[in-house]
Amino acid sequence: MKRLMTLALVVCLAATASACGGSKSSKSGGKTAVTISNEQGTTWSCGFNPFNSDVNFLSFGTVYEELTFVNGLKSGQTTDWLASSYAWSNSNKTLTVTIRPGVKWSDGKPLTAGDVLFTFNLLKKNEGLDLNAAWSVLKDVTRNGNKITFDFKGSAVPYFYYIAAQTPIVPEHIWSTIKNPVTYKDTHPVGTGPFKMASCSPQVIKYTKNAGYWQKGKPTIETVYYPAFTSNDPANQQLASGKAQWGSQFIPNIKSYYVSKSADNHYWFPPTVNVSIFINLQDPILKDVAVRKAMAYAIDRKKVSEIGEYGYEPPSNQTGIVTPTFSSWLDPKLAHVFDYNPQKAIQTLQAAGYKKKGNLFYTPEGKPLSFRILNIGGYSDWVASVQVIQKQLAAVGIKITPENLSSTTYDADNYNGKFQLSYNGNESGGPAPYYELRQVLYSKNSAPIGKPAATNWERYENPATDRLIEQYASTADPATQHGIVRKLEQVMVNEVPVIPVTEGVDWYQYNTRDLKGWVTPDNPYAQPAAYVNPDWGVVLLNLKPKSAS
Amino acid sequence: MRFVLRRLGFFVVTLWAAITLNFLIPRLMPGNAALSMMSRYKGHINPNAMHALEVAFGIKTHESLVHAYFTYIGNIARLHFGISLTFFPDTVTHQVLQALPWTLALVGTTTILAFILGTLIGLVAAWRRGGVLDGVLPPIFVITSAFPYFWLALLAIWLFSIKLGWFAESGGYDVTTTVAWSWAFVSDAFRHSVLPAVTILVTSIGGWILTMRNNTITVLAEDYVRMARAKGLSPWRIMWHYAGRNAILPNLTGFAMSLGFVVSGAILVEFVFNYPGVGWMFLQSVENQDYALMQALFLMITVAVLIAILAADGATAILDPRTRDRS
Repeated sequence: MKRLMTLALVVCLAATASACGGSKSSKSGGKTAVTISNEQGTTWSCGFNPFNSDVNFLSFGTVYEELTFVNGLKSGQTTDWLASSYAWSNSNKTLTVTIRPGVKWSDGKPLTAGDVLFTFNLLKKNEGLDLNAAWSVLKDVTRNGNKITFDFKGSAVPYFYYIAAQTPIVPEHIWSTIKNPVTYKDTHPVGTGPFKMASCSPQVIKYTKNAGYWQKGKPTIETVYYPAFTSNDPANQQLASGKAQWGSQFIPNIKSYYVSKSADNHYWFPPTVNVSIFINLQDPILKDVAVRKAMAYAIDRKKVSEIGEYGYEPPSNQTGIVTPTFSSWLDPKLAHVFDYNPQKAIQTLQAAGYKKKGNLFYTPEGKPLSFRILNIGGYSDWVASVQVIQKQLAAVGIKITPENLSSTTYDADNYNGKFQLSYNGNESGGPAPYYELRQVLYSKNSAPIGKPAATNWERYENPATDRLIEQYASTADPATQHGIVRKLEQVMVNEVPVIPVTEGVDWYQYNTRDLKGWVTPDNPYAQPAAYVNPDWGVVLLNLKPKSAS
Repeated sequence: MRFVLRRLGFFVVTLWAAITLNFLIPRLMPGNAALSMMSRYKGHINPNAMHALEVAFGIKTHESLVHAYFTYIGNIARLHFGISLTFFPDTVTHQVLQALPWTLALVGTTTILAFILGTLIGLVAAWRRGGVLDGVLPPIFVITSAFPYFWLALLAIWLFSIKLGWFAESGGYDVTTTVAWSWAFVSDAFRHSVLPAVTILVTSIGGWILTMRNNTITVLAEDYVRMARAKGLSPWRIMWHYAGRNAILPNLTGFAMSLGFVVSGAILVEFVFNYPGVGWMFLQSVENQDYALMQALFLMITVAVLIAILAADGATAILDPRTRDRS
């Protein structure tokens, strides 16, 4: 028996060894292929419906395209895309776009203004597809030859972004035959974009070049592989080993783990939106602005950024303007009002009648300044950041207790206003600072406690601020827009409805061994994270094999 | 006959209880699917999309629990598990069937291998206790079983895949190969499965060895073994038919249980190796409040475990006449 066992072991080992010696995959994709490593925490469902929020990042930008490309890194600079031009009229209540001639769907049929009209009517008919709530502001869409006219209920300048840049245009000749477009899977998407979906399995999607693409000579990339990663480590490993060229996720200790592995490995994390402490303004203690201001003084944002975020996410400022991305909008005087100053925090509280007993401040009624702060337990960087904040606030006499929740509980509590403080970076922002400020400050994005609020989770409501926000929507003049945003910054500083702490970034790593044309700080032609759509299509369109000049 | 009927009755009652709990427990969780979808979106969505999502998912907050329960039972009876929210708008059945083969192949094979190898090693170690084999293998495998799985797996990836480059570090197959029943694909998939399989084996085999060895030693002290020796039977026959057959009985139920749990996948394995399978799907369904997917997976596990236990009861009855009904 002993001999038999040994034999079995030997056989086992032999089998393993032969497997070890098995052919090592040498095809890493060739020089005209890109492999994306973007941990999405899911396997692919192989649906590509561009109106399905779950999968549209896999088709919008590469397969389906928008009317106008809006660059979020250049304060909303526009590039004509499927529309060859656009114009506002009727005091910014009417938008007219001209559809580009000569564009073909990937099945060979031409794109017409009819397809665009059909797309917007499709959204009107099927609420479930209207992810950008376009029909909450649209009154009517009409076609006149190769022109499409959008009539809005009111002045709608900021909505240009959602209508022209965030709505994928779909072919009428295919989508008009679909019975229920909401539950339509769209396994073989037909679009106008630079790539076609060639094959899909739960583990990897393969895109190939659309030879008939309307931008002549583009794309130069032949193949795009998009593997599904359910966890960060394998995805990061693919990047470090050079198997994947384009990364879009958090890598701990990126200098030694990624950059040091090859001179061709680079990263850039452009900030786009704030991670802030949302303060429940209906809390009996926190509704006093003095307490909020004291907290804003007491937080050393630079330290939070360095310790909690590895320095990847830069410190914010109280105006809510993300720098350097939107620096041109920043009022430099306001930016430094709430620089780290624990002394001032203590003085502010004392001046407002709060008394310090022991290590803690108390209200005149004798209630301690002690609050719970919601956080997502799975985000280790946020947990670390809040620990830093906790220490800094404790130093001036304010106690916060982190509650690290699962993201579902966290979301429900945030939306429904069931919190005192909440560490939160879930605002979507937009191509200009206005979008985030509107999300945070507009009373129409708020709701009573217990009912879900869209974005105004701290429940800030002020008619004067609402008027500023509405005024912005009626002007396309950059100078006027800048003036209004500066007034909104003043609101952020005077009333401290939320405390921006660090700036959320687009995660972006790239390898320049075989490919050039990547987004760089000097040439920010699109948001560079692979999960940003339609921007990722623009990035893929600009990549070139290094040998080609 | 009564034995079989009683077992079957027990099976049906347990199944009903499991199905009912399966319905109730997910609904006691906070939040809803549209909320979790919003947060998965990393912010790139219009804030007013929530409404669109609720309409798309057909989230009915006003449906009564009783009504929902009977609809649910009816659907299960027809094996109709509905549409998954995680993989919206795909059906649960399609998604599970895509992931299940990977799990069965990896976890199923390793579970059976671990049981066979562990039992054999345990038996032989007990038979020749104090020998070289007994002195080396059981302690080694008991120690490896105590390793945290992810630590061992990460170590294996670092050594065999990153340093030595022998095996693939993640995924079920290379992303550039085409999925087909071709030699290239199958060998590639095999190459990707070696590290996950070996790490599962190494961390799970110790338990089988230890219980089998201890059972055998107890059995070897029994009178009937002494009797067999006295009769002059060959050691081979005594080891297999007298010691082994009796010592394996307690292990058999354990084995049946773990076979049943095969269909629940191996979350840690799938996580560390980015390996496809139902374990990860399970976790995701819970995170995304995907009731349909969650219930289908729970049901699958429950049924698999119940069937496995039923089978183990049957096997025990065959191997050990004492457990059969007196009648």
